[in-house]
Amino acid sequence: MKKQTLHVSLGLLAVLLLVLIPQYGFAAGDEVAAVLEGAPKPSRLDYPMIWGISGRTVVWSMAQMHLFLAAFVLSVPLFSLATEFMGTVTGDDRFDNMAHEFMKISMAAYSLTALVGGGLTLSLFLFYPQMMGYMLKVFRGQVLVYAALFGFESITLYIYYYSWDALRRGNRKWFHMSIGLTLNTIGLTLMFIANAWATFMMSPAGVDPATGAVTGTIWEVTRNPLWNPLNLHRFLANIAYGGAIVGGYAAYMFLAEKDPVKKAHYDWMGYTSNFIAILGFLPLPFAGYWLMAEIYAYSQQMGITAMGGILAWLFIIQAVLIGTIMMAANYYLWSGLMRTDRGAHYARYVKYIAVVIVGGFLVWVTPHTLLLTSQEIQQLGGTHHKLLGPLGIMPAKNTAVNLMLVFTFMSFQMFYRSSRIPTVSWAKAGNMFIVALYVIGCINIVGAGLYGYITPTVYKVGASVPQVVTTLTIIIGSVIIDVFRLRGSKPETVHWGRMSERSQYALFVLPVAFTWLMGLMGYIRSSLRTHWHVYTIMKDNSAEAYIPTIGQAGNTITAITLGFMAIMVFVFWLSRLGATRQDETEAPS
Amino acid sequence: MLRNKWLALVIGLAFWAAYFYFIDKSIMEGQGLPVAANLMPK
Repeated sequence: MKKQTLHVSLGLLAVLLLVLIPQYGFAAGDEVAAVLEGAPKPSRLDYPMIWGISGRTVVWSMAQMHLFLAAFVLSVPLFSLATEFMGTVTGDDRFDNMAHEFMKISMAAYSLTALVGGGLTLSLFLFYPQMMGYMLKVFRGQVLVYAALFGFESITLYIYYYSWDALRRGNRKWFHMSIGLTLNTIGLTLMFIANAWATFMMSPAGVDPATGAVTGTIWEVTRNPLWNPLNLHRFLANIAYGGAIVGGYAAYMFLAEKDPVKKAHYDWMGYTSNFIAILGFLPLPFAGYWLMAEIYAYSQQMGITAMGGILAWLFIIQAVLIGTIMMAANYYLWSGLMRTDRGAHYARYVKYIAVVIVGGFLVWVTPHTLLLTSQEIQQLGGTHHKLLGPLGIMPAKNTAVNLMLVFTFMSFQMFYRSSRIPTVSWAKAGNMFIVALYVIGCINIVGAGLYGYITPTVYKVGASVPQVVTTLTIIIGSVIIDVFRLRGSKPETVHWGRMSERSQYALFVLPVAFTWLMGLMGYIRSSLRTHWHVYTIMKDNSAEAYIPTIGQAGNTITAITLGFMAIMVFVFWLSRLGATRQDETEAPS
Repeated sequence: MLRNKWLALVIGLAFWAAYFYFIDKSIMEGQGLPVAANLMPK
């Protein structure tokens, strides 16, 4: 067995090295000459009309559904591996069982991901043959690398899941985790390659700007200006998304189970999933900010289309959804205070946190420009409200979101503190040092926001960086001090399962809001190309080369979200069905 | 070891105020935005 496992691991390593070494994986150079003919210029007739079906809506739905499923199945192995590692280090089997259960949920979704991916590929070639022909010319052998990687991903995923119990103890466990690491490396590489295709369409590189002929190597095409910002943004978003979905599963199981032991397990699973979702979510606005800044740097026109043009109103809907996520996550954390006897001590602070979260949410959803009738403009004395107008610009929004993140962290901090009584002599002094960090940090965030009102635009944008750094300092600083402060602390019993049923609905809100949000923001990102397949390189001449109305886009995104939720309910039901045994007494004699 | 919580609060306030002042200043100047300039839009 040892020999076999060694061979499998060496084989996997060799495969990984082959696909990751650029000169093999990213075949370059020689093929350049073959693709110097430029981008095609399709006419209206080059877009097949099939039974009057809207090709764009089909591709949009398939791409979005594939992305939802792929984000989920790529992220679960990431935190499953982290949980497995935690179980190995602490020797606590609960972590290992939970990691295994995380994988069980994603396994049911994996084949659906491949199925929808296949549907997406077919519909792209069917409705946009010229565009796909050009993309294949640009990305050449990388497409084959992607296909090969998908095969390896499937193999490693199945080995990782099915070998769980066979490789559970001792050195075998480390071998099992190395399979998990290989799986995640392949999964992330897959995502990075797919991101290169999406970002090439937005910010093409390695091609002649006039004709679209390929002039650069595959690496130059891949490493286009928006590639890394999108890589980071999707990586974090996937973790938050995966956490939210398995949290929904835990809530589903918590509500369905009657056995108190199992209820306690799913309560703990829900808490951990919510923690993972928040962990991925906290740095996400900053990654989004970087992506948006790079979009502006690449093309001001594209940036203005997003945030000051037709798509700007969608950012208000984005604020509503993110506010919903924050309120749901906080509500769940506050409800969790009832799991410990000391939780009531912290419950009195909840109302103050609620004021900040709701206040921040209201500032965030305040639009800068209102849709007004001429009579309303007359009544207002202009297009902007005198008091609320200033809340519509970025310094106010940045201040609001940073304060919301800080106070969301505070909710989490209250929970972990409620289960431990510090024993170090400087515990109270240490706490005051953290209080000072919060006070000065919040003043600094508000101050930097106000600074944006009295300075030119470049300072407004620049002042957002100290705000981000302050938020991260508060979070990281508090955790570091608390780690030392709670060393040797007296643990309080956490009554897992002592949780209201109402709180579980907050865990359902998270995946729904996340899915909707991803659909919305994905639509914005894709629409930034306006009437271009590949921005400024290859025009979209189809009958649907226009930006749909907000209502039409909203309806499509909502329909896709509902479809995905139906799939998820099916996946949860399948997972539960797999663990259900028929009662022996029910068998016919 | 510091045991007086109020003294810890005062020291904490001073420490973090100084910390954020220098961090903010260095970040802004790092972006080529001197904070001492007259910044009021004209």
